[in-house]
Amino acid sequence: MEGTHSSSHRFDVLKKIGELTRSIVEDLCNGRSPTLQIDQFSSYCTDASGNCCCIYDLPKGKELLMLRRESQARRLDVLLRVLLIVQQLLQENKHCSKRDIYYMHPSVFKEQSVVDRAINDICILLQCSRHNLNVVSVGNGLVMGWLRFAEAGRIFDCINSPNTAHHIPVHVEDVEDIISVSEYILVVEKESVFQRLANDQFCRQNRCIVITGRGYPDVPTRRFLHLLIETLHLPLYCLVDCDPYGIDILATYRFGSMQMSYDSKSLRLPEMRWLGAFPSDCHKYQIPQRCLLPLTAEDKQKAKVILSRCYMEREVPYWRSELQLLLDRGVKFEIEALSAHSIAFLSENYLPSKIQGGAYI
Amino acid sequence: MGELLKNSIFFSDQHLCHADILPPSEVRARIEVAVLNFLKNLNSSTPSVADLPLISRKMSNSRVSRGLLIESTKIFLSHSFCTQSLMNENTANSFIRVWKVMEMCYQILGQEKKVTQRELFYKLLCDSPQYFTSQSQVNRTIQDLVALLRCSRYSLGVMASSRGAVAGRLLLQEPNQEVVDCSACGSSGYAISGDLNLLEKLVMKSDARYIIVVEKHAIFQRLAEDRIFNQIPCILITAKGYPDIGTRLLLHRMSREFPELPILGLVDWNPAGLAILCTFKFGSVAMGLEAYRYACNVKWLGLRKDDIEQLILEESLVPLKPRDHQIAKSLGSSEILQVNVPNAMIQDNYKEELAFMIHSGHRAEIEALYFHGYDFLVKYIGKKIVQANYI
Repeated sequence: MEGTHSSSHRFDVLKKIGELTRSIVEDLCNGRSPTLQIDQFSSYCTDASGNCCCIYDLPKGKELLMLRRESQARRLDVLLRVLLIVQQLLQENKHCSKRDIYYMHPSVFKEQSVVDRAINDICILLQCSRHNLNVVSVGNGLVMGWLRFAEAGRIFDCINSPNTAHHIPVHVEDVEDIISVSEYILVVEKESVFQRLANDQFCRQNRCIVITGRGYPDVPTRRFLHLLIETLHLPLYCLVDCDPYGIDILATYRFGSMQMSYDSKSLRLPEMRWLGAFPSDCHKYQIPQRCLLPLTAEDKQKAKVILSRCYMEREVPYWRSELQLLLDRGVKFEIEALSAHSIAFLSENYLPSKIQGGAYI
Repeated sequence: MGELLKNSIFFSDQHLCHADILPPSEVRARIEVAVLNFLKNLNSSTPSVADLPLISRKMSNSRVSRGLLIESTKIFLSHSFCTQSLMNENTANSFIRVWKVMEMCYQILGQEKKVTQRELFYKLLCDSPQYFTSQSQVNRTIQDLVALLRCSRYSLGVMASSRGAVAGRLLLQEPNQEVVDCSACGSSGYAISGDLNLLEKLVMKSDARYIIVVEKHAIFQRLAEDRIFNQIPCILITAKGYPDIGTRLLLHRMSREFPELPILGLVDWNPAGLAILCTFKFGSVAMGLEAYRYACNVKWLGLRKDDIEQLILEESLVPLKPRDHQIAKSLGSSEILQVNVPNAMIQDNYKEELAFMIHSGHRAEIEALYFHGYDFLVKYIGKKIVQANYI
């Protein structure tokens, strides 16, 4: 069931675990305090001018973990315990979630966040991704459209019924034989928009793949998208609500999240383009005035936080100006507002005109 | 007479109100009848504005039917009406809202389309802003319309998402499609569609011996990945939280197609978990008219009091939050768990478990079983099934 690809990864990781443990034991035998150097990654900093030197794939610094203070000793203890569990999982090729690992020693770990940090540290030390440790999370994404792929022996033939939703597989490393006749990939923020497209039979008129992460995308969804782009090299468009949270989701797809910054190389999507909805779409597509909702205090705060991120000015100045426009106008709107006048407006007018007109940034 | 009926253990069908699943043309016909009635009243010799009789969706109108020979209990709404009248100041706006939504649904059904509740909100906001200010108002009005026309929300043209998934020893075939083998669907399983018509038409075949209903997505994924159905011949189904209509419909269909298969529920040990189990089992008052239709005889496999005492570490127990207490209170006082009926041993046990939960002040997740090793969950389920340890 598993490909040879993943089993060679497994043995690599097991070897690295062995080496790491051996170096710690050597230190102890020679009377030295074991020292672990953990690289620190960050997806962005708060230098809004964009003149910082943030580069995604390189660490910003190192953290030294030694047995000097009790908190560090505890952290090392937790790390080694989690490492032991991971080793068992890899040896027997079983999988666990972060929550499951927490419950294996709840009295030692005391909190879920402690386990989460240990797993991140291990990924950085062993220079691998979380799924290489056989630690998985649930997958929430959906996909439909002109795509066919195989996962662990089963064929997902979305082409047969392009308006039926399929779950995005959790074990993206087992996905192979990707075949597609699409012209582009469309990522939508919300499940309800996905449903609207399915109900309108959008994929019948348009040769494309539609994916939703149902909100903030989870790791399997992002990995799957990354794989599709690597294999198919198709244009990638994103459709989010015209509000700060929608733009944050867009930024997560494109630049990655802080929590997974150590793995952003395999998760971020620099090819992603913002298709809509823009604040400037209000007039162009005659969104009814009543559908424009005022920005709440949280919205405004969120917008300011996003504007302060270094990548906004440096990489996507057009996104930055649209977000500033949103903040200045003080109103937001959802994609569903487009259905107010005509239910099929999204599928029949908005999306085709945007895509053919090249109105993405 | 009313008292007698209320206490009776024979449930007389004529007092049961249900929502029909109808094609768009029939729903439009019902709307037309409502309009004609209204006009007739207006044009009569004593003109009046007709009131809208809606099936009351309050606890006072909910009845619990307990099967006599079969072990099934369901909530249903009886024929008590609450009227919405234009003349009454409190309900005048609600009265108008119902008509507005009726008009909108009529148009949507005419176009043979479906909309989400959010889209309906925006349409109404543009169309009649003085009557609609929030999403929850729209949702309530839709339920009012269901109660008035007595047809399901889906029949009105309102589509809802379905979060459910199925895995295991089940073969499904959509009309004119290939057969899907749910044991080869990977760890995410087969996605349960939101299209209730499609779910009605699915052809099902199975050689399983049990159906296991799982509360949480993470547990479902774990069990599907570990291929529990190769060791214990079963079908796994989850709604990933509070059960939606699609998942309940499919489960109900499975219970009808494969009546010999016991349906076992695997939920976290907290009031919310028990509430989810009870929703699968009995239905809910909020979705009153549609609820009873999909009630199934789900038995509580775990986690239960004995498991907490024998298998869960004290450190894995988490204190109950105020919300848990709220849920426990409404569950405990709800009629379905009342014990003043003979042969209500199930309700006895459930009430006892709930009381113990509150008394201990703690809750526990199923993942806490991982203390005993990452393959313990399958062993735990297997042992409980073999011992027939479910209530």
